Amino acid sequence: MKNIKLHILVAIMIAIAEVIGVKSFKIGPGKVVLLPMLYALILGVLTTPSFLKITKQKDMEDAGSLIGLTLMLLMARYGTLVGPTLPKIISSSPALILQEFGNLGTVLLGVPLAVALGLKRETIGAAHSVAREPNVALIGERFGLDSPEGRGVMGVYISGTVFGTIFVGLMASFLAGLGIFHPYALAMAAGVGSASMMTAAVGSLSVIYPELADQMAAFGAASNMLSGLDGLYMSIWLALPMTEFLYKKCCILKYGHVLTKEEEQ
Amino acid sequence: MKEYSLGETLVILLLMGALSMISNTMSSKVGIMEAIPGMLILIAICMAGIALGKYMPGHIPGVAYVVTLGCILTYPGFPGSDIINFYMKKVGFVALCTVILAYAGVSIGKDMEAFKHTGWRIMILSCVIFMGTYLGSAIIAQVILKLIGQI
Repeated sequence: MKNIKLHILVAIMIAIAEVIGVKSFKIGPGKVVLLPMLYALILGVLTTPSFLKITKQKDMEDAGSLIGLTLMLLMARYGTLVGPTLPKIISSSPALILQEFGNLGTVLLGVPLAVALGLKRETIGAAHSVAREPNVALIGERFGLDSPEGRGVMGVYISGTVFGTIFVGLMASFLAGLGIFHPYALAMAAGVGSASMMTAAVGSLSVIYPELADQMAAFGAASNMLSGLDGLYMSIWLALPMTEFLYKKCCILKYGHVLTKEEEQ
Repeated sequence: MKEYSLGETLVILLLMGALSMISNTMSSKVGIMEAIPGMLILIAICMAGIALGKYMPGHIPGVAYVVTLGCILTYPGFPGSDIINFYMKKVGFVALCTVILAYAGVSIGKDMEAFKHTGWRIMILSCVIFMGTYLGSAIIAQVILKLIGQI
C-alpha cells in the first residue's frame, strides 16, 4: 500500500489508456469495441519482468494484494446500479435464473474439442467450467492440483486471467454486431462469475447501445452475483457429472473404447 | 487475501477513488468536482460494508454487505435514494474497472511464467470454453426474455 512507485505507474497507465480512448471497428459481420480498461490491462502486463521490467516481484505482489479492495468500489457501484432497477430485474428473474444453466454450454463445446485435441483426464478439469477461483478450489479438493485434472483447470484459469477479460469483451461486442441477440440477453450472459470479464463485456455493449447502459450493467451485475452463488453447486451437481459422461462418450468416438488408467497417463 | 485494518482500508479506497477519477474525468464529460460526491458515497458504502463483514456475526463476506447496501440505498422510494442516484450517475462503472485492470495487469506478471508453459491446446480450449458459457447463457436469456415479454 505504501508502494508509491506502483501507484504513480498505475496513474500513468490509466492516463495513457484514456488518451487512446474507445476504438471500434467492423470485423466481418460483427463489430469489435476496444475499451481503455483493456489497454490498462495490457500496459500493466507490459511493465512486468517478462517484458519491459519496469515492475519487480514486490510490485506484482503489492498489486495483487490490492485487487480485492479495488473490486469493492466496483461492487458498491454495481449495488447502486441494481437498486434503482430492482423492480425490472425481479420481473426478468426467470430469464436471469434460467440463463445460469447456459454455463453448461462450456461442457457441450469444451469436452468434444478437448478430446479432439488429444487431451485426456485434463479435459475434466479444463472443460467443466470457466475455471474461476471456486472451480480451481473444487478440482483441487477432488483431484489435487498436481493431477491431470488439476493441470487442466489451472491451464484454463491462467489463460482466463491473462486474456479472458479481453476475449469476453471482444466477443460481446462481436455478438452484438451480429444483431441476433437482444442487448439485455447479451448483458445477462456476461455474468460468468468474474467481475472484470462482466464489466469488459457490458462496457463494450454500452458503447454500442449507450441508452441501455445502466440497465445492461444492472442485468450483468445481477447475473454475475447469481453465478457467484450458484456456480459451485452447478459445477458439483451438473457440470462435473456431465463432463465425465461426455468425456467417456467422446473417448469411445475417438479411440473406440473408454480409456483405461494406463492409457490416460 | 491480505487483511487490512479499517484505517488502511480507508486510505487505499481513497487512493483507488482518486485514480478512478482520472479515468472518469478523461472518459466522460463529467467534471472532476461533479464526480467527487458520488465517489465519496461509494467509499462510504465500501467502508460500512467491510466493517459489517468484519464485526457482524455469521462470517458473511464484506462484499455481500457492500452490494446489498448499494442496492438498498438506491432502491426507488428509499429516503435519499434520489440524491444518491443523482450523484451515482456521475461515476461510470467502466472507469472503476480501468483501475482494477491496471493493477491486475501488473499482478498477472506473476502468472506469465506459468502461462508460457500452458500448451497451445489449453489456450484454444479456453477460448471455446468462454464462448460456450457466453453463447449458452445468451441463447437461454434471449428465449426466456422473449417468452415473458420483456423484450
